[in-house]
Amino acid sequence: MEETEKDRNIRILHSGVFTPLRRWATKWSLWPCHFLTSCCGVELAHTGACGYDMERLGTLNMGISRQANFIMVEGTITRKMARALRIVWEQMPDPKFVNVIGACGQRGGIFWNSYNITRPSDIVPVDFFIPGCPITPESLLRGVRAVQEKIEGRDNTTMRFKHVELPSGDGEQEQNRAPTTPKIFAPTPLVRVDVSRDADWAFGKDMVKNLKAQLNGLYTSITITDKNRIAIKTMPENLVETSRKLSDTMGVDHVKSVNVIDVPHERKFMVEYMVSGYTEELMPVILTIFTEIGREAEPEITSLASLWESANYSERELHDFFGVQFKGNEGMKGKFLLAPDTPDTPLRKDFKLEEEHYTIEEGVPLTPAITPPHYTPPSSSSSYSEFELEDLKMPTYEDVLKEAEKNDEFVAFIGPHHSGSGHLRWVMRMKGDIIKDVIPDPGYVHRSMEKIAENRLYIQNVPLTERPNISDPINMNLGYVRAIENALGIEVPERAMYIRTIMAELSRIGAFFYDMGIFPLFMGHSTGFMYSFAIREMVLELMVRMTGSRCTPSFIIPGGIRRDISDDVLDRTRKFTTAIYKRLKKYENIFVYNPVLISRMKEVGVLTREEAIRCGIVGPFLRASGVEYDVRKAEPYEVYDKLDWEATTGDAGDCLGRIFGRLEEIKQSVEIVRQAVDAVQGMPRGGVISEEILGDYKAASDDIRGYLYNVYGNLVLPKGEWTSVTEAARGTVLYSIISDGESNVPYRVRIITPCWMNLRGIIEASKGERVADFWTVYASFGYFPPEADR
Amino acid sequence: MTEMINTLMETVMSNQVSIPLIEPMLDSLPEIPMLQYMVAFMLWKPLFALLICPGLTVGGITLLFFPWIERKLCGRAQWRVGPHEIVWWLGGVIQLLADSLRFLFQEVIVHKDAHRPYFLQFPFLSFMIFLLPLLFIPAGTIVAIQTPYAIQIILALVCLFPLFILGLGWASNSRFAYIGTVREAFMYFAYEIPFIMAVIAMIILYKTSDPLLMASRQSIPGIILNPVAALVFFIGAAMATGRMPFEIPDSDQELCAGPHVEYSGIAFGLIYVLCYEKGYILSALMTILFLGGGSGPAIAGLGELSGVFWFVVKTYLVLTTLYMLRAVYPRYRLDQGLKLGWSPMLCLALIGLAISLVEVGVMAI
Repeated sequence: MEETEKDRNIRILHSGVFTPLRRWATKWSLWPCHFLTSCCGVELAHTGACGYDMERLGTLNMGISRQANFIMVEGTITRKMARALRIVWEQMPDPKFVNVIGACGQRGGIFWNSYNITRPSDIVPVDFFIPGCPITPESLLRGVRAVQEKIEGRDNTTMRFKHVELPSGDGEQEQNRAPTTPKIFAPTPLVRVDVSRDADWAFGKDMVKNLKAQLNGLYTSITITDKNRIAIKTMPENLVETSRKLSDTMGVDHVKSVNVIDVPHERKFMVEYMVSGYTEELMPVILTIFTEIGREAEPEITSLASLWESANYSERELHDFFGVQFKGNEGMKGKFLLAPDTPDTPLRKDFKLEEEHYTIEEGVPLTPAITPPHYTPPSSSSSYSEFELEDLKMPTYEDVLKEAEKNDEFVAFIGPHHSGSGHLRWVMRMKGDIIKDVIPDPGYVHRSMEKIAENRLYIQNVPLTERPNISDPINMNLGYVRAIENALGIEVPERAMYIRTIMAELSRIGAFFYDMGIFPLFMGHSTGFMYSFAIREMVLELMVRMTGSRCTPSFIIPGGIRRDISDDVLDRTRKFTTAIYKRLKKYENIFVYNPVLISRMKEVGVLTREEAIRCGIVGPFLRASGVEYDVRKAEPYEVYDKLDWEATTGDAGDCLGRIFGRLEEIKQSVEIVRQAVDAVQGMPRGGVISEEILGDYKAASDDIRGYLYNVYGNLVLPKGEWTSVTEAARGTVLYSIISDGESNVPYRVRIITPCWMNLRGIIEASKGERVADFWTVYASFGYFPPEADR
Repeated sequence: MTEMINTLMETVMSNQVSIPLIEPMLDSLPEIPMLQYMVAFMLWKPLFALLICPGLTVGGITLLFFPWIERKLCGRAQWRVGPHEIVWWLGGVIQLLADSLRFLFQEVIVHKDAHRPYFLQFPFLSFMIFLLPLLFIPAGTIVAIQTPYAIQIILALVCLFPLFILGLGWASNSRFAYIGTVREAFMYFAYEIPFIMAVIAMIILYKTSDPLLMASRQSIPGIILNPVAALVFFIGAAMATGRMPFEIPDSDQELCAGPHVEYSGIAFGLIYVLCYEKGYILSALMTILFLGGGSGPAIAGLGELSGVFWFVVKTYLVLTTLYMLRAVYPRYRLDQGLKLGWSPMLCLALIGLAISLVEVGVMAI
């Protein structure tokens, strides 16, 4: 029998006279290679932190592949990351072991029909798969034990389930087995961005008048599409002129989102820029400038990146997605977010994803026939051995190297496998100890969320939207759900609004502590990491008690929350608001007020107010540079306007300011939670889902279980574009849903996450700093690659 | 032949470690053939120093268990337990044994771009060189080679260490190793001068550079006589061993362990313990210079081993302090480290020298 790679590693251990010693030593010294590939890394960090303490098993997380002997592949391996995974595996000395954690690594999990993911088992030999989305730290530790037992030669870790024969043929049963409502795609959808809607908005009407006067002759139409939303239609040739006018006269200074909508049956692309300004009256307003261009092979439009730099990376991303050339943007040559071998222009409507098909035949129950994408059935020889190392070259940036050589600069390629890179790659050009330029190479966790969202029911997208950022799931969900509620005009019950606020703020605290745990790690300060994650563990426990899930609750649904939460959980949350201060104090003492830290962060990576706005950074980082923009204040949602709290702003704009700002924000969030819990405790229980959306299923207003698809399966949004902005932990998250009014799936979902906008800020802030400062700047922005890449 | 053996035995017997506790046992030994000679050799002071303390046995124990102690203590400081499951009833004490055995049995990769001969020989060579200072370090009154220039020789050997790290980095031929090597060179120059000056201050103070005499002249420990020099020495030691605030050359998150990024298997295992070796030697040196060497209340029955005991205790105390810095401090930037070395530490070292001179002057009066 042919020997497989997997067995080879075990055989190496079982050869020679020292076999028992070898086995024993390897068993207790499995050093995992610090190879973060996806969002399961959050739970891996928890396993390493003080709550679970992986080091108990002798499993010391090691940053360097040459010295490790164990890879834990954390979830999704995208096409871009596949190369990195194989290279890291090749670099490791024998004998080596691979565990794949998370559902994405097995059959793709929630992203099973994505165009950009591969299977780790096709790339490297895998010893164990650990299921879960995300895995819990307990199961991760169990995976380590499984490898240990395998080394010992025992295999009693595989769980064997008793086979249960399901009764069939019962009529009632069959009805329950129909998994979802069939998806309805309109054959010729009517895609409109500027659907007029009456809104009680006097300022907007004045503004439209003002705009019409200013843009005389440049616009085709100006419409109020909703409260705080104005759509301006213009011709492609007038786009730059319109934008310049807006920028000069109205004070519009940043781009919130760039979007392209493909309308194949009308032979056109719609290109839209959502812009706004950080002046007091313009803060909540989003102006959508859109234009239509012909759907040719090489569509072209003038780039606005020279006017608003914040549009730069989004334009490059859309060039990857749709093949639209933005003239004037320098990054239009190669691919930016996608891998070289990803299909071209995947977000065009004529690129179809694999789908679940339900065959309906007479007398036969609905049976799904699923063909996973990019899946070749395993042949007799395993497919990873056919991988040629020559195929695994990553882009080398020849022109950058040449230019650097000319200028006597040193170039280092950092990441994606690097203990201080996260899941993306940096090309750093330095002269001596000074950074000249940093070129980002993102997209290592691009899982095509926008394309998948176009192929799922509205309600099925709720779990999807929290996957980009499982360290801040509630706020990610909230944005998407609010866009739907806004479109349908649903009033959420007050109790549900308060509970949503509590959960959103807890989630924000959790995300801050995640960032502020990774920050110390980048400075080599593991104690700060441990303390921070200990506090985060408290937040996660509350989450578990409320929703039943540590990181991915999917608890917020259109019209309310899934089910009411009990009084003792509220009591516990109330206690948490006082208990957190004691630990926070310890964390501050060991890390934030550490003299070494202060000397490293102060006046490092400074972004002035103007620079911050120009780069388009968002959230606490923008506020640290002195812009008083908080969506919760500017355009209050949920119950933020009923509670007493303050938005924090600073004016230093350096790394220290960004840390202090977030520490202050944690305290404000704790205050919000306290007030909201007090308010909820005085309310009658029950009724957490809006009756408007429940329709005939009024009984489900306390608990949606059992009725979810009945209520939400055929949700159809009114025609038009529905945009919501939400203040997530790391900044403004923008969801823009385009509905054609007929299909029960969205026509296009545009997700702009804060980290994607902050990427530009990281580059700008680190230029001219010292090499070691790059990690200070990078970590101070709380960059979370899965969130940025979506 | 017999004469030769007799002369040899005379030399050996004249320089024995006296341990009253085991003397009755030694007296009964002549009944067993050959054993008395072997025991006599073992208790011969130079050989005892080489094989037991501060040499092979204590050094080996330090290398094998100190990383464990460090991991355990840091674990306590970080609200967790550290290595535990391997022998749970001893708190995972043999964790490092498993790690080192794993390294020993693992593949050693020499990558294509490396300079193969140097890449392979530097880890082993540096491990040897790093052990040499132990020949001159006395544990209590026991020393392998006694010379009035011992401190200078130790210092010269200690200052040789970074050259081998440079060699490792150069032979690796990797970008991160290159940056790390350059950083190592920079840091070397920054700490070396204040470090040497702190030692010179103590030589001036004790008016000798024989470690045995130095220890005997510390009726008041050197750390009280000249705290400034002690501080400079301690910071210098932290810089030389690359401990946390100064883990600049091999910073894990920035440079993936800098000079030794490309090493694997036993070659890395040796490099991994290098910094513990360095730490052990510098702690021993600090014990001699500032903490009175092996002096301490005599323990009945142990005789000369009493000095050895106090020496080891003090050395481990310094070593623990040095390694616990990791739990408290993050790391400095390169320029901050250099600034610290070239300005405050240099000034402090000069002040330390001045203090020594003044004290010597006062004592002369």
